[in-house]
Amino acid sequence: MSVIEPPRQGEIVTRTPEELDRLSSTWESPGGLIGWFMPVNQRVIGRRFVLTAFVFFFLAGALAVLMRIQLMRPENDFLSPDLYNQFFTVHGTAMMFLFAIPVMEGIAIYIVPMMVGTRDMAFPRLNAFGYYVYLIGGAVFFGSLLFNIAPAAGWFNYVPLAGIEYSPGLGVGIWTTMITFIEVSALTAAVELIVTILKLRAPGMSLNRMPLFVWSALVTAFMIVFAMPAIIAASSLLVMDRQIGTHIFTPETGGQPLLWQHLFWFFGHPEVYIILMPALGIISTIIPVFTQRPIFGYTALVLSLVATGFIGFGLWVHHMFATGLPQLGMSFFMAASAMIAIPQGIQVFCWIASMWGARMRFDTPLLYVLGFFVIFVVGGISGVMVAVIPFDLQVHDTFFLVAHFHYVLIGGAVFPLIGGMYYWYPKMFGRMMDERLGKISFWLAFIGFNVTFFPMHQLGLQGMPRRIYTYLEELGWGDLNLLATMGSFILAAGFLLSLFNALWSLWRGAPAGEDPWGSPTLEWATPSPPPNYNHAHIPIVSGRYPLWDRRGEESSPVVVGLRDDRREVLVTTVLDAEPHAVAVMPAPTIWPFISAVAASTGFLGILYHPSFFLVGFFGAAATFTMWFWPRRPWRDD
Amino acid sequence: MHSHAGYDARELTRFAHKTHPLWWGILGVVTIEATVVASLIASYFYLRMDAEAWPPPGVDPPGLLFPTINLVLLVTSSGTMYWAGWGINRENKLVLTLGTSASVALASLVLVLRGIELSDLGFLWNSHPYGSIVWTMMGFHFVHVVSAIIGTAVVAFLAGIGYFTRERQLGVVVDTLYWYFVAGIWIPLYLVLCWAPRVL
Ligand code: HEM
Ligand SMILES: [Cu+2]
Repeated sequence: MSVIEPPRQGEIVTRTPEELDRLSSTWESPGGLIGWFMPVNQRVIGRRFVLTAFVFFFLAGALAVLMRIQLMRPENDFLSPDLYNQFFTVHGTAMMFLFAIPVMEGIAIYIVPMMVGTRDMAFPRLNAFGYYVYLIGGAVFFGSLLFNIAPAAGWFNYVPLAGIEYSPGLGVGIWTTMITFIEVSALTAAVELIVTILKLRAPGMSLNRMPLFVWSALVTAFMIVFAMPAIIAASSLLVMDRQIGTHIFTPETGGQPLLWQHLFWFFGHPEVYIILMPALGIISTIIPVFTQRPIFGYTALVLSLVATGFIGFGLWVHHMFATGLPQLGMSFFMAASAMIAIPQGIQVFCWIASMWGARMRFDTPLLYVLGFFVIFVVGGISGVMVAVIPFDLQVHDTFFLVAHFHYVLIGGAVFPLIGGMYYWYPKMFGRMMDERLGKISFWLAFIGFNVTFFPMHQLGLQGMPRRIYTYLEELGWGDLNLLATMGSFILAAGFLLSLFNALWSLWRGAPAGEDPWGSPTLEWATPSPPPNYNHAHIPIVSGRYPLWDRRGEESSPVVVGLRDDRREVLVTTVLDAEPHAVAVMPAPTIWPFISAVAASTGFLGILYHPSFFLVGFFGAAATFTMWFWPRRPWRDD
Repeated sequence: MHSHAGYDARELTRFAHKTHPLWWGILGVVTIEATVVASLIASYFYLRMDAEAWPPPGVDPPGLLFPTINLVLLVTSSGTMYWAGWGINRENKLVLTLGTSASVALASLVLVLRGIELSDLGFLWNSHPYGSIVWTMMGFHFVHVVSAIIGTAVVAFLAGIGYFTRERQLGVVVDTLYWYFVAGIWIPLYLVLCWAPRVL
């Protein structure tokens, strides 16, 4: 026990250096080569998720630029048609599955436990497992491009095109298997986030005091739990169709290709909100900090997050307006698609009200948020347009759609995300990113983005279909395409400048200190970068803005009586966060890594022979047993 | 900024089970798997909606006998799981070992019967869409029973060497939760596979 004389209620507590050392070594991650495969701490895993996701972002971005070069002028032969197909498939899939979801999860894994004042995620080993599965899945997926066997059936992989008859070879198999891996990883992260948020909050952080970023992570996680199983089922069925000759999606033998579309979009539409939701949380985090006053309409914002989560599930059919479903059903989905505008509108209203008349500090994080507003409004308008069935039929599968979803995805998710990176970078690495470079990068990205994608609306209305590798001179699409390609160079320069800024600031940035922005949430109450144990004591919270609430006070209440020689965290009740137990967290181990390798060998092997299923299944079962096997001294005695 | 003691966690239990994060985690797994089952059932009816005949002409739906026996066995095995937990709550390690082992035995019997049933179906997964989805749903449940057996066998073994106590029984509690799910999910699958083609 650390405290020999138990402190009484209200007594001042300080950690002696020896205690801090012990706490730190209890929560330490092993070093060395083998040690690299062992850590389970949430900040280590979260950082890996974020870094890996950005590697995929830049790779997928490079593919996008190559595609733009191909489309730069009519009848260009820079990329072959087949390579172009592979590129847009890999670009779209990687951006949606390997970048957008994992990066948001990574940030949540890194930030949420600190924000709610605990020391780790609820299932640290599972967290590590999820990361390795993601890493392996992503690496194999991108690796397939090097061998020219990448999937080429588009990011939604429609059957029958994706069936064995029209897509023989490994490509689609790799797509389905890797997607399943990444979904498994997303599901593990989602369950963990839910349990961490519901059960490990600091005492006093009742649900109605939870930071909005935590709310957004919670809603996102719930959406993942209900959306992703559909795509797992769909891709497993497709694997079976391709590998063992089942007939689920094959029309010529009585199967139903449209079933794929339903299952895919039942996941695919919520997917867009899964990507968007954490970004909304980031915006609601950044605005109060840079205006230095509480957000306007906390409750309304929470309710709109939750409402968006629900409505997001009612919309999938709007991706299928062109498939000829019954009229009444279609109208219902059209109305539902328009309904989503209500919570979105409420949020925008609250944000504007929060900024109204405030003295704002226009630092880079806020700039990216303001850029979001402009872009997202355009994306929202074009979205309402395509939700109208007659209009949708007109622009279906044209560049209008490409423009629309890039406005939503880049404006809605990537811009706030980069703002968030500028905001949390000091916490993660202990140094500030350069402001001047940050501002330049913002303007390059903002201008480049609009120059790239705005002309695409016009191209779509002029009839340019998506997914074509080239077009004829006489169609007159050349000028706008050239403009879009120029824009993509500027956009890329903007993102690369931020990358450079991040690397350069690692050793040149100004030291950040605990709380460089004057933020209200708990992650800023520890040194930057935080020590192994996050907070020296688990804090006790009595308001929505803990660090602002305690301004001007002498001392703040904390939890005492947790042991520092093993990994103890406090478990609290779901609604009011009253303490009711202590959980002992597991220490670093290599088993999650071995499990991930065993499972991926098995499930990739299925592409070679179905019997590899057994390898995957029993390999996972055996390694899971080893991972859970109790070792003396029993952890919780 | 100083800190002062606001709450003392020394007396809190370190042995929570129904309030432990892991219990909630298993609940999450169960939710995910239930959603997968819902997707499969939806796929079943979607395929059926557009089929001319379901099952196809000349094909019989799975028989009633073995699936019904399996239903009874699975319910019974949940009972023995409950009994095992009842035992360890009274620090009775023998009941825990016997109860979990009985569940493993009953579930293994389920696998045997399921095996016979599958080999007697008269069609394969690659015969027609009906065969594909029926085999998928049955296979899905089969694999889940296997995982529940493996997990519970480990618990039974640990119980046998005396690892679990009245306090340290988190492993038992979460394994039981998962067991109830695997047994319970057979009910909707059973109704869809065996009864829907007969009554709907
Ligand atoms: C970095 C800037 C980006 C550029 C220049 C870019 C450009 C492109 C291009 C040229 C296409 C192919 C259009 C076609 O021929 O049909 C495309 C498709 C796509 N992009 Fe991007 N993109 C960028 C970023 C993103 C991001 C951040 C996301 C998602 C988070 C994304 C998601 C997609 C998707 C889903 C597709 C559709 C793929 C398919 O048709 O299957 N893109 N993009
Ligand atoms: Cu949609």
